[in-house]
Amino acid sequence: MKSDIDLSYLEKVRSGQFDLGWLNNVTSEWGIKPKPSKIGLTLRDIFVGSYGDIPETAPRRTMAPRGCDIDSELPDMGYTINSKSEVWADNLLDLYEEAVSRQWSATRDIPWNELQELDPDVEHAMCQLATFLSEVEMVASDFPAKWMWRINHDFLEAKMFLCTQIMDEARHSEVFRKRALSNGGGLGKASPVGEEFLKLVLDAKNYDEGSALMHLLGEGLVLSVFRAGELIAPTHVEKKIFRLCMQDEARHVAYGTMHLRYRLERDPLLAEDFHAFLDRGEDLISMIVTTPQVVEPAAILATGSVKAAESIGDEASNILRIRMIEEYLQRCDRAGIPRRGRMKLPEQILEGTSANDVSKNPPQMVVG
Amino acid sequence: MMENESLFPNPKWLDYLVGLVKRDPDRLKDLGIADFRLAIKVEFEDGSNKIFGLVLDGYDVDSQGEISGIDSFKPEATLSGSFDAFKEMFDNIVENRGADKFHTLNTLSLAEFPLRISSDDPIGRDKFYRYAETLQVIFDSLGLEAAKSG
Ligand SMILES: [Fe+2]
Ligand SMILES: [Fe+2]
Repeated sequence: MKSDIDLSYLEKVRSGQFDLGWLNNVTSEWGIKPKPSKIGLTLRDIFVGSYGDIPETAPRRTMAPRGCDIDSELPDMGYTINSKSEVWADNLLDLYEEAVSRQWSATRDIPWNELQELDPDVEHAMCQLATFLSEVEMVASDFPAKWMWRINHDFLEAKMFLCTQIMDEARHSEVFRKRALSNGGGLGKASPVGEEFLKLVLDAKNYDEGSALMHLLGEGLVLSVFRAGELIAPTHVEKKIFRLCMQDEARHVAYGTMHLRYRLERDPLLAEDFHAFLDRGEDLISMIVTTPQVVEPAAILATGSVKAAESIGDEASNILRIRMIEEYLQRCDRAGIPRRGRMKLPEQILEGTSANDVSKNPPQMVVG
Repeated sequence: MMENESLFPNPKWLDYLVGLVKRDPDRLKDLGIADFRLAIKVEFEDGSNKIFGLVLDGYDVDSQGEISGIDSFKPEATLSGSFDAFKEMFDNIVENRGADKFHTLNTLSLAEFPLRISSDDPIGRDKFYRYAETLQVIFDSLGLEAAKSG
């Protein structure tokens, strides 16, 4: 920190001499008066004039609010993510507004006192699924938190969106922990294979890799798990938990998909890097469908008992597996990185999906 | 039960449903803003169909009623199913004062049967999940109304 603080300024103020440099030497845009839209004053509303200009490459590494007057003595914050395309997405401003508006409370908004006593097998299964979800959800807070301080302040809106995601995921960890502990059961068994994927996300060498693994792949799969959770939930209480989580998760996936698209449109040569990230990450799909702590509770919840799950649970998990893979493939198409013909998973995992049907891939984006 | 002129799939059923939601706008407002154009396609045994348009815009919800075709409405996603599947869902909502666990929108559509959600754009399709609770509250309004009228 600078030690040459100008104490003589105090004397000048006492004698009525203001500096007024901040008032007289204004170069930032003045006279801006955006009108609120019908839901209030949104980020998009104030994305006007020079304040809406985001540099492709940030010229400074300071916390100066984008568009303000710059003092040349602002310190360097050491940001390492200084290109807009590394974090931006076209739907970012709207997703932020939506995220803020659609926050909910795991304490207030779930009718906890309407939980019902369940068959012990079903309660165990629900608690095990809640344990798994409470275990994996927090990584989607940890990952953005790890990278946020490295993101240049010129891309403030991206950082703000990631803040909403951090809060969303805290709530997801909270709500599943609460569900496990609230109905006479408790936490179940942690999953080593699942945590290997979480480690892959946390250890990602850069934001590109971590975001593709987490926002596009991991959260897309979790979104499918939430949908399945809503279907097999034993009562309306768990159904509401899954629906509210599903809403948040779909926002994160919408960011991940459109962020990757934005990134690849500006730098198509990165496509092979992203394919390599996904090659490593897609084992998560195999993991989800071969981990007893995930598959068996889901089958028991779907069928109502261990016995029934052993005879017909396979059908339910096949539906989930195929939906999960198909929806993932469609998001990859939208992101501009078609994965059909590229997935390296065992045939038993890809069976019944279009993963090997390259004719369903959309035309490639033009490089250049 | 719904009034006769509002009986599903009378062209006015969606107007009626949206009218119920608008009577208590805070229920949707509490869930937050949304932005979605959903087509609801009801398929009949004779191969014909009727399509209805539902629009979520900020805190507002609007019915476009029966629309002449998918293209004119420009939906971001389409929820389709047979007349019987929709009828069973609405009857359940009315009887149960809100969908029971076998008749929520997500439950009925996850396996693509009896309802299915489709879109050319996965971002549009994913909005069906992004607004899952809002959509369920809208459809469940029918049940709340039934509860009020005993
Ligand atoms: Fe989550
Ligand atoms: Fe998430």
